Order: sequence, then structure tokens, then C-alpha cells
Amino acid sequence: MGKTRTPELDRELPDLPPELRWREWMKRIEAVLFASGAPVAREDLARVVGQGASLDLLIDDLRVDLDARPYELAKVGNGWLLRTRPAYASAIRAVADIADQALNLSDYDIAVLAAIAYHQPVSRDGLKDIFGKDISRDLIGRLSERGLIAPGPREPRRGAPYTFVTTDAFLAAFDLTSLADLPDQEQLQDAGLAQANSADQGDDAALD
Amino acid sequence: MLERAQANGAAPQALWRARLALGAAAQSVRLSGRSEPEAALRDIICLLRPGEQPGPAGEIAQAWRLAATRPLSDASLQRALPGLSAQQIGVWDRGGHGGPVAQAAQVIEAVLSDAPRAHLAALILGDAVLARSFGWTHLVPLLGSNLPGRELKLRGDALRLACHTALVKSVRDALALATDLTRRAVRLHSVAPKLRSKQAAIAVEMFLTRDAIAPAALVPLMSDRAARRLCDRLVGLGAVRELTGRDTFRLYGL
Repeated sequence: MGKTRTPELDRELPDLPPELRWREWMKRIEAVLFASGAPVAREDLARVVGQGASLDLLIDDLRVDLDARPYELAKVGNGWLLRTRPAYASAIRAVADIADQALNLSDYDIAVLAAIAYHQPVSRDGLKDIFGKDISRDLIGRLSERGLIAPGPREPRRGAPYTFVTTDAFLAAFDLTSLADLPDQEQLQDAGLAQANSADQGDDAALD
Repeated sequence: MLERAQANGAAPQALWRARLALGAAAQSVRLSGRSEPEAALRDIICLLRPGEQPGPAGEIAQAWRLAATRPLSDASLQRALPGLSAQQIGVWDRGGHGGPVAQAAQVIEAVLSDAPRAHLAALILGDAVLARSFGWTHLVPLLGSNLPGRELKLRGDALRLACHTALVKSVRDALALATDLTRRAVRLHSVAPKLRSKQAAIAVEMFLTRDAIAPAALVPLMSDRAARRLCDRLVGLGAVRELTGRDTFRLYGL
């Protein structure tokens, strides 16, 4: 690290005995994840370890290694990140300087975010249809500033309005591995959060 | 029979695979609990601009497209399925026992036992195994289009039987598509000399390798206006179709 030009990274580490080599690869993965605020994709992590090394086995070993630590490895989308365990949330909140990491979203912001998650890619017009009123650019701005949403494909109609999609940071923030982890219609009903006769019923009815 | 379709020089193979990929993608999208039809997936593939994220359905469409475009290899599958490790990808080339369909069924079962929701990976790798067992250079999306969710829950012999049934249906559809596209390709070739420009000849090649083209995709070859004119002219000559039915953001293809 530092100002000097970074030399080519020695991925294979041929001089080390196999066991130390494996350790070193684990440490590299940990270091990369430690230094990164966002999930790191599989192909990026693969670039710091040997060509033939199994990233999944390295990750598994690292996960075991971190068992006793207050932070853990989490798989998010196509990547991984290092995060503190929920049990330490109160300690961190008490003193750590994390103001810029806190999401600070209102219930309404979260509702719009949820609508985007379920209906993505969706434009502001689409959100207006869902909420019955305009969703302000400020609100959309807040969500994208926090990296929770990103521009999706534009709608193929006049004005080519942008749509919004959720990001890996969204998955990380809500502890989801993929969008398939979002509660489905049935779970939402069981939790009393959705009604059985909503507009999205068509598919379920067809299956019965 | 599929071999004959693939050996037929007049059949636009790349286009054929691209369109089969779109159908398989629509099925994978349904398996993921979404409802985007083929047309919506085509829009995303053709109209997505740099800096825009494809979204969940678009990612599925891109995965199938990438899997079926390049010659089949570890690298092509890795590009299509970036979330899988090299070891997980490797199952397609490991060789199981039994015929091609039995091997494909084994791989689908192996992937789904590991990750029950990984329908996309299971089907792409299943079709990869099928292509390898038949000795094809490219992945041809076949199993991907006709295996519904309830059949993917089957295991062992039942899953193998479901794969056989799906394949019979897919092959029938794929052959009909090949016949149709070959006829359209012949038509396009026959009008191509009327276009009288080198750029138009390259554009014709593009129509024969892609599912659909937005006129903007031709802009490296010609001006925006000329691209639109060429597309309209080809429609007028009955050589290509406008696929969206829209007045704007039109897409053209065979």
C-alpha cells in the first residue's frame, strides 16, 4: 500500500507450502472484504487467490475462522461482505461514528423502496399508480444516494422514463441473499401485511 | 433432426439460438415468480444503455443470451452465470452416465439439490450438458423452455422422464422455428442485393445473428436516419418484421 506503484499481485504464491498458501489466500479475502464498504463480487475476489483455488472452500474456511469474532461473512447477491454481528449493534450505536452509514429512512421511504423491490423495474409513473400520488424526486434521490436503488432500463415510450431497480447494497441492508428472499404474497398475508384480494392475485388463482 | 437443422447452411443458427434463448428466458422468468413476457425481455436486451441495470428479469434474459451466443465453454458459462463458482460451473463437463438426456437430468438434479431455487443455473447447465453430449459447439436452449416448476421438483427417474418429454416438445418447437427462420432468411438474402451498399450488407448479417435490432444498433454503420430508413425499407420488402407494434422504440427482426 502507499504511493509506490503497485506491483503485479502474486496470485499463485508458489514459494509457500500449501497450508500457508491457503492461509494467505484466506487473509487476502478477509482483507479485501474488510476494506470494502460494498459487497465484493465473486470474480473480483477470485483475482486475489490462485487460479485453481476454490473460492467457496476458502470462504467456508474463513467463515469458520471468524466464528469467535464480532463480525461475520455474509453472502449478498453475487458477492460477499464482512459485517458486524447484530448482537453488537447497541455497542456500536453507543459510540461509533456511523452517522453516514445509517439509512435514516422514514416509513414512507421504506414503503416506496419495498414497492420498487417488488415491482422493479418500475418508473415514477408506476410508483404513482401504486401509491396514488406522485413520489417526489427527493425521496428517489435519498434512496439512490444510499445506494439502495439504481437506474434500470428506460421504459420504451414517450420520454423514455427511467425505471428503478434495487442494488446489492439493498440486499445487504435488509439481510437478503437474493430477491427471491423477499417474502411472497402468502407470507405477507400470514403476517397480516397484505390482503388476499389484492391486484396481484391473478397468478395464485391460476395455480389453484 | 436437430443436427440437420444445425447443418443446414441456410438456417440462421445464431439468430435461431438467440430466439430460443429468449423463450427459455421467459420460462426462467416465470419460474422465478415474475411475469415479464418475451417482448419485455427483448426490450431490455435491445434497449438497455450503459449505466442502466437490467433488473431481475433482464438479468435472466442476459444470462440465457450469453450462454447461447458464444461457443460453449467454461468461460461462456461463467459469463452467463457470474454467481456460480468454477467448480459449480464445472459439472457440465464432468460427464455422467447414461444418454444425453439422462446426463442433463443428473446435472439439473445436482444443482437443484444444492440450491433448490437455482432454476436458471440448473437449466442453463442442463442444456450445456445436452449440447456437449450431442457434440454441438453451442448451447441450444431446449430444456430451458419446457420444464415447469412442478417438474423441476421431481427427482431421479421421474425428472429424467420429464426432461425427455420436455425435450420432445422443445425440439418440435425449435424445428418449426428453424424452418420459419430459414424461410425468412432466404427472403432477406433475396432482397439484400437491392440494398446496394456495403453497410446494408453488414446490417443484413446482423439481422441474421440477432433476435432483434433497434435501429440505433446500426448507427456505427450509418446515420440514425439511414438506419431507420433501412429498417423501414426491409419491412416494406417483406424481409424483416417490426416486432413491437409500437410507434417509438421500434425493434426489427426476422
